[in-house]
Amino acid sequence: MPLPPHRVDYLPMADRPSISWPNEAKVALWIAPNVEHYEYLPPRDPTRNPWPRSPHPDVQGYAHRDYGNRVGFWRMLDVLDQYDVKCTASTNLAVFDHYPDIGKAMVDRGWEIMSHGIYNTRYLSSLTEKEERDFYLECVETLRRHTGQQLRGMLGPAVSNTIRTPDLMADAGLTYHADWLHDDQPIPIQVDNGRLVSVPYSIELNDVPVFLHHHDTADFVEMAKAQFDTLYEEGASSGRVMALALHPYLMGMPHRIEGLEEILEYLLGHDLVWQATASEIADHFMEHHYEEFVQHSKTINTVQNAR
Amino acid sequence: MPADRSPGMDHSHYGYSPLPDRDPLAWPGGQPLALGALILLEHYEWEPPPDAYSLRNPSGGLIKLPAPDYVHLTHREYGHRVGIFRLLDTLERHNVPVTVAVDQLTAMHYPWLIDHLQARECELVGHGIAASRLITSKMTEESEAEMIDESLDFLEKASGQRPQGWFSPEGVESSQTPALLAAAGVRYVCDWPNDEQPYKMTTPAGDLVSLPLFLEIDDEFALWRRRASLNSWEKMIVSAANRLHADGQMSARHMMLTLRPWLTGQPFRIRVLDRALAEITKLQDIWTARGGDIVEAFAAFSAGN
Repeated sequence: MPLPPHRVDYLPMADRPSISWPNEAKVALWIAPNVEHYEYLPPRDPTRNPWPRSPHPDVQGYAHRDYGNRVGFWRMLDVLDQYDVKCTASTNLAVFDHYPDIGKAMVDRGWEIMSHGIYNTRYLSSLTEKEERDFYLECVETLRRHTGQQLRGMLGPAVSNTIRTPDLMADAGLTYHADWLHDDQPIPIQVDNGRLVSVPYSIELNDVPVFLHHHDTADFVEMAKAQFDTLYEEGASSGRVMALALHPYLMGMPHRIEGLEEILEYLLGHDLVWQATASEIADHFMEHHYEEFVQHSKTINTVQNAR
Repeated sequence: MPADRSPGMDHSHYGYSPLPDRDPLAWPGGQPLALGALILLEHYEWEPPPDAYSLRNPSGGLIKLPAPDYVHLTHREYGHRVGIFRLLDTLERHNVPVTVAVDQLTAMHYPWLIDHLQARECELVGHGIAASRLITSKMTEESEAEMIDESLDFLEKASGQRPQGWFSPEGVESSQTPALLAAAGVRYVCDWPNDEQPYKMTTPAGDLVSLPLFLEIDDEFALWRRRASLNSWEKMIVSAANRLHADGQMSARHMMLTLRPWLTGQPFRIRVLDRALAEITKLQDIWTARGGDIVEAFAAFSAGN
């Protein structure tokens, strides 16, 4: 965004270079289960209380989420397998240590593992620069140790960040940052060294905010279809990105799982959909469109400088 | 100041006026209903000045997170980059001319967008400096006057036209605001959602017209604060328009939709606005107008009575 810290130049959707996805796809669709562990007794953080409902532990809140790892994940997995979905799992990386079965299930399917921090109860917000640098090293190392994968991107743990986050991510060799909700296409994020892009995630088309309010499964299904219909129409002129953000502890519930089937049946029933991982989307953009997006932003912003 | 339990309002901005007692209002073309849309282009800052006042729980984002709240800020930014064009295209498709409240930081940092809005014949109205710098009774009269003047001057400079209308950031005023707006040469204000017709406000610095927005169908109020479902919002808009159109046969009404590009401009929401507009523009004799057109017609009607 144009105001400090200057990370993104203004680039209106109505005036920017066209994106072409592989095989003339109109929509690049990434599906992101958030595979999380919330700690029973998290360390105290001065900026945020993960369990505000009661003095710790909050057994109810903990168990609600723990259900996801015991039951919901496996039910979701059956449905994702049925539709042969290649997920980008937004993963608290300590899940690999606590629940090797889950780690193995994800790796066996060739899912991309995106960092969602180590635990969902340890935030970046109050880390020093040194601590945050060490955090990325730990994320990269943890993923390599458990899977051999090179870490490519992050959704901040419980969407926490610092002002330095994009710079430090790029320094640690990451390619994309999913905490930017500012666009329907990948966008260059300015960093001190190297390159970083945003890959559009969603906190609207996301089971957490939808189900924490009084919407139900049918609402979520309708939202997902409508989101897709608009992006698919618009994608005829320039490729769009759609993210479907899921949590096993919510979408994996018995009263919701059929909604996931209905969503996948609908979305994947269209021909011109590229069901990709976030890093595939980021790589395609980097290779084919990054440079022209940067150049065109400069043109748009000469209007600004002329004033 | 607490009310003193005498007849009429507990402030001096306008007098009590029950709708059935008014002279029947007529729009220039005789239509029962004027329909308009006010789009808000609001900017939230990464680091507002330390003495600035924001809402405790501004809409957008997830929950209130420690700064920097990327989720909240970038969710809002979506409106300026993407959502605004969906709103403009949809309203244009249904021939609803557009009024846009533009805050100063938007005018300053998105000049391309200002040019674009003007090329599409939108009316621009003043909207303060930023959504993260509210006008409130915590500030002195001098600093409030300065904020109002500065933001209007800037929008005039950026667009080449002096705004006639005003909507305060997040709809928040001090008790001085109407007088300061009149002193700044503003003709109409949209901060008071209390009527179905425009009405006159009086201030020590001169008169203003109040052009009420329709709070219950305001997208943020309905979809974010009340978390109404999209189907329910669609029904609200359509049934409100039908009723206003019917009631407007006796005394004309107006209906201003308040729309936020970061909210209704999302892919899954825009289709609902499209459906609602398709439905209400089927009504016979709707006058689609910008805020300034409605106020102009109201002023001409009032002068003739």
